[in-house]
Amino acid sequence: MAQEVERYRKPTRVLHWVHLCAFVVLFLTGLILFVPGLAALAEDSWTRVIHRVAAVVFIIAPLVYMSMNWQATWRGIKEAFIWGADDIAWLFAAPRYYMLCDEKAMPPQPHINAGQKLWWFIALVFGAVFVITGLIMWFFKELAPAALLQWMVFFHDVAFIVSGAMLFVHVYLSFHPLMRPLKSGPWNSMIGRGTVSVEYAKSHHGKWYDEVSKGKKEA
Amino acid sequence: MAEKAILYDATRCTACRGCQVACKQWNENDEFIPEPPYTWDKTVNWGSYENPPDLSPTTWLKMEFREVEAGGKVRWLFTRRACMHCTDAGCVRVCPNGSLYHDESGFVAYNKDTCTGCGYCVDACPFGVPRSDRNLITGIAKMDKCTLCTSAGLNRLNEGYEPACVKTCPPDALVFGDRNQLLAEGKSRVQALKDKGYVNAYLYGEKELGGLHVMYVLDDHPEIYGLPANPQVPGTTVAWQSVLQPVGWAVGGLVIIGLGINYLVAREAKLARALPAKKKEE
Amino acid sequence: MASLVTGFGRGAMTNHWNDIANSDCIMAIGSNPAENHPAAFGHITIAKENGAKLISVDPRFTRTSSKAEIYAPMRSGTDIAFIGGMIKYVLDDMEKNPGSYNMTYVKEYTNAAHLINPAYKGPVDLDGLFSDYAGTLNETDSSKTKYKTGAKLFNWESIPASWDYQYDEAGIPKSDKTLKDPNCVFQLLKKHFSRYTPEMVNKTCGTPDDAFLEVCRTYAATGQAGKAGTICYAMGTTQHTYGTQNIRSYTILQLLLGNIGIAGGGINAMRGESNVQGSTDHCLLSHILPGYLKVPVNSDSSLQAYIDRTTPKQNDPSSLNWWKNTSKYIVSLLKAWYGKNATAANDFGFHYLPKVQSGVNYTHIALFEAMAAGTIKGLMCWGQNPAVGGPNSNVERGAMDNLDWLLVTDMWHTETANFWQRPGANPANIKTEVFLLPALSSYEKEGSVTNSGRWSQWRYKCADGPGEAEDDLWMLDRIYKKLKELYETEGGPVTEAITGLDWDYGDDHPDVRAVAKEINGYDLTNGKLMATFGALKDDGSTTSGNWLYCHSYVEPDLEPDAPIPGNRASRRGLDDGPFYIGLYPQWGWCWPVNRRIIYNRASVDLNGNPWDAEHPVIQWNPAKGDSGGWDGDIPDGGAAPMNQGGYKPFIMKPEGLSRLFGPQADGPLPEHYEPWESPIANPMSQQQINPAAKIFRPEQRGDPAAYPIVCSTYRVCEHWQGGQMTRNMPWVVEAMPEPFVEMSEELAREKGISNGDRVIVESTRGKIELAAVVTKRYKPFQMNGQVVHQVGIPWHWGFTGLAKGASANELTPHVGDANTTIPEYKAFLVKVSKK
Repeated sequence: MAQEVERYRKPTRVLHWVHLCAFVVLFLTGLILFVPGLAALAEDSWTRVIHRVAAVVFIIAPLVYMSMNWQATWRGIKEAFIWGADDIAWLFAAPRYYMLCDEKAMPPQPHINAGQKLWWFIALVFGAVFVITGLIMWFFKELAPAALLQWMVFFHDVAFIVSGAMLFVHVYLSFHPLMRPLKSGPWNSMIGRGTVSVEYAKSHHGKWYDEVSKGKKEA
Repeated sequence: MAEKAILYDATRCTACRGCQVACKQWNENDEFIPEPPYTWDKTVNWGSYENPPDLSPTTWLKMEFREVEAGGKVRWLFTRRACMHCTDAGCVRVCPNGSLYHDESGFVAYNKDTCTGCGYCVDACPFGVPRSDRNLITGIAKMDKCTLCTSAGLNRLNEGYEPACVKTCPPDALVFGDRNQLLAEGKSRVQALKDKGYVNAYLYGEKELGGLHVMYVLDDHPEIYGLPANPQVPGTTVAWQSVLQPVGWAVGGLVIIGLGINYLVAREAKLARALPAKKKEE
Repeated sequence: MASLVTGFGRGAMTNHWNDIANSDCIMAIGSNPAENHPAAFGHITIAKENGAKLISVDPRFTRTSSKAEIYAPMRSGTDIAFIGGMIKYVLDDMEKNPGSYNMTYVKEYTNAAHLINPAYKGPVDLDGLFSDYAGTLNETDSSKTKYKTGAKLFNWESIPASWDYQYDEAGIPKSDKTLKDPNCVFQLLKKHFSRYTPEMVNKTCGTPDDAFLEVCRTYAATGQAGKAGTICYAMGTTQHTYGTQNIRSYTILQLLLGNIGIAGGGINAMRGESNVQGSTDHCLLSHILPGYLKVPVNSDSSLQAYIDRTTPKQNDPSSLNWWKNTSKYIVSLLKAWYGKNATAANDFGFHYLPKVQSGVNYTHIALFEAMAAGTIKGLMCWGQNPAVGGPNSNVERGAMDNLDWLLVTDMWHTETANFWQRPGANPANIKTEVFLLPALSSYEKEGSVTNSGRWSQWRYKCADGPGEAEDDLWMLDRIYKKLKELYETEGGPVTEAITGLDWDYGDDHPDVRAVAKEINGYDLTNGKLMATFGALKDDGSTTSGNWLYCHSYVEPDLEPDAPIPGNRASRRGLDDGPFYIGLYPQWGWCWPVNRRIIYNRASVDLNGNPWDAEHPVIQWNPAKGDSGGWDGDIPDGGAAPMNQGGYKPFIMKPEGLSRLFGPQADGPLPEHYEPWESPIANPMSQQQINPAAKIFRPEQRGDPAAYPIVCSTYRVCEHWQGGQMTRNMPWVVEAMPEPFVEMSEELAREKGISNGDRVIVESTRGKIELAAVVTKRYKPFQMNGQVVHQVGIPWHWGFTGLAKGASANELTPHVGDANTTIPEYKAFLVKVSKK
């Protein structure tokens, strides 16, 4: 068995999948509002009930995670908002890297790279937008003024479009030719034991690998 | 089919509320009918002849009473409140899945079966007409509003009858017919009012929102009767339905196309890089 | 109704609903048609759109006022002062602009020119009283006759001698067509109404001068020949201690303006129930028999004595005096009732009829007082809810405790049927046996309904009723048959009165068409249905259950095209010819003899040409028949125009003329008195209230110091009468859930009451809790420097049914009109406080 490095701990992996499932359910039940042809699925509001059940999961899961993993949460949030030279470098290298699979073009990256940061950032911000606008529409439909509710719909929809599109990108990147073999990289980090192969770690997150391996040695 | 309309003449209306009661009775909007032992607590007198206090999923039409005093003269104005069946209808625009639509005779119909209960129409209507009986927790809801008596099984129009409200109106303040004819009738009544000295007389609904299918003969400004002077489909509805939705489709489409292209290019590139490496090994 | 009889001869709406559309000016006073006659208001709307003006005179700004061109506020109970002021305006204007009025009408069709006994003195001379007053000032003992009757007008009506006409040698009333004689009616009118100045109107009614004068100018404009003004009144007029005189004041105004008998004119008594005209025609009231024949009294020792007493006699050959036919109608009625048991030998069964005791009051209030006193032991209430609708309802509900038995027939449980469950009563202490018979609604049975405009319209059954519900006819038939059986087996007083009735309408379910045919009547010589009451006889050879309806159900060959051949009430023809003024002579049937506008002979000049060529009711056509005839409506008396020897137009009056001066129990001319309970002293005289008013329980009179606010009861569009039918309809209940008290913003401020608050309204009779409706539509009255507040309460509610609420009639007094004893629901005193 090849040498492996732990990338995501179990709570993180569980949260990821729970949240993804909730999001996908929310996405699909929400998508019905965009596609008149799917209207039959929405009859008698049952998709709206599912949407709400998923919304509860979508809200509760991170809260549970946070309460149990304060430090990781805090670290994770910081990661999304603190951008540095590596990220700039990533941005410049990304087109060549992802289009031409030129791995040499990409400088060594920390634990998460700028693309991941961007996704993470969107997930946090638009997740919050979803929750706030969603809760207002859910519980203040009778009380809030019509104009406010209409803006809530609007922003819920903006979040839907942006995060939906980014979800495609996210999922796609896990299939990207660069990620192969899948088992050694992102798939294993989230599906399996939460580890990636040393090669994958070196090639995709060189800086992080160095830190981790240094830490190990120090330990 | 010719466009149909209702002409409501506020100068004829005595607010007897026959229309309000007939609407409920015909359309079986009787959720509030209690069974013995009777404990009537659905409405109370809150200091007005007006009741129920507002439109609701089971109150599609209600009469509003307004007391106005100007120059020592009291006026008691009556207004019919129900769906105006707009040509440019905010509810139809905003309805995500086409449950609300324009009937061939021009009025705003809806398919209650396919209504998802999103309630966007409730907020998009410039007249505040559609109502839903939304469950706070589950969000289960159905929108309801005036159907012009076309509910399945209770369809008066198909049988050649006028809507129940029109049928019952004792002073003929409500008339149902071809919109063009009623437009002409409404104009001539407004002119007659002007000739009598009601200089602000106005035919509401002739032009508003592309033409309403419920037109009002008024002897004064619409605002005095509680009607918006210049009703518009809200900007947010336009922004959402006419801008954001297409943008959403475009973004989604572009992302999927972009990712596809990327996959094809990157795969080729990766293969190209892998081949020389293999050759080297060999 | 009593007043219209006095003025014109018939107690009914003179015109009909559709005809209001022909009017040039409609005055709604004592009525709120937009609220209470919503369908009728459609005709007013048509008139308005044709250019007519609507005037609304009401203490508060109503739904009708909201549609009116002119609104004039008037304190409840001051109609006579208001209309008196209008009459003065017209009389004054007649002198200045005689060309603006139809003086021929006034001289030839009214008794304006007749001379009155010089001994006559009026309120001008006697400080609010008339000559022959026998009481003392402000005496309240209503058991006494206040005006002593010393003369018999046309040997028919008992009146004070000083109120009688002057007669010539032939016994014909003297007249002065120049209207100059100081004793002529016209001059007496001028004198009488000289005190009704705009200032006095303002002081009494609280009506602002400008509004009052605008009403006068607008309405007086209908005095022009060819113009029509109509007065629409209802309970706001009648329910006063001087209700009859209120209508008398309308009569005088309308006659001076020539507005009776013409299209778009008249005095239209708007009836509150679909069939109340029919029930009155068929003797709902205690003083009449079917067809307005007078009820027998204990002094009528024989049929002839009755006929002598009730048949007017006069000597003027130009007066038709229709009531001279009384004997034919009473005999035909008796023949209809007693059949072969009515013979000339037994006075046609006249002695079987119950006789009323002279001087005893048999009206609603008196009946309930008799129950309270224990005199009356059983009560049948047919579709009536006196526990809600009767005045002083705490007294009336309590009176029913003394009954041995009570029968209520209704579609629902009513407060009357449930009186023993009323709040505050202990059912254990009430021994009354109550029977509630479930009744069918009008849609569940066949029969005729006579509307306000005297149109009898046949209706068919369209649905089966629920459960064991039956119609009134079935119930009465069973009750009668059981009674007959009991009388036959057990006997009793005047057994033949019951057992002798000719009662056969079928064995199973009584046949309503057989009843309708009996009402029309038969010619016993050939067994055929009577064609018209003109052929009724007093020799026992004809029958008619109601002479007014003779002509309504004839032999099929006379009316073959009716849906029920022969039954004219079933006709549904929409041809409106020949004059197209909305008479619809082929629709249903109208009494008398399908005459749509009564007194229509007054709609033409002396040559038979219509005053209003645009809306002719009838017109003399010399080319018609052998010697000319009338086109249009059925003429009121078929003879030629007056200039060609025809009769005077008001054929039901012995003098052939309508009465400007018309004796009533409380005076020949209307004089303003205050309501029994009033916050102010009568500004017009020392006599505070109508001296002849019927006052029961004088101790319950409220002191204005303690009860300073005028209160009136009324109805709302959403509910009907005692509420049985509407307070059990969920949709209607939702729209108008509970009773309320309407008050001005000024009064609310004074009492610290906000809109929607719960408030207590209290009179000496009772105390009720209601929701407050604080409104701009009530304004305090400024009268003579005094501020008078008025409030109003709709009265439909009670303690039974889907929608319950306080009954306004807990507050109203047991006092009634001098002539009819109709209760004074419209003006009494209360105090109001926040709960």
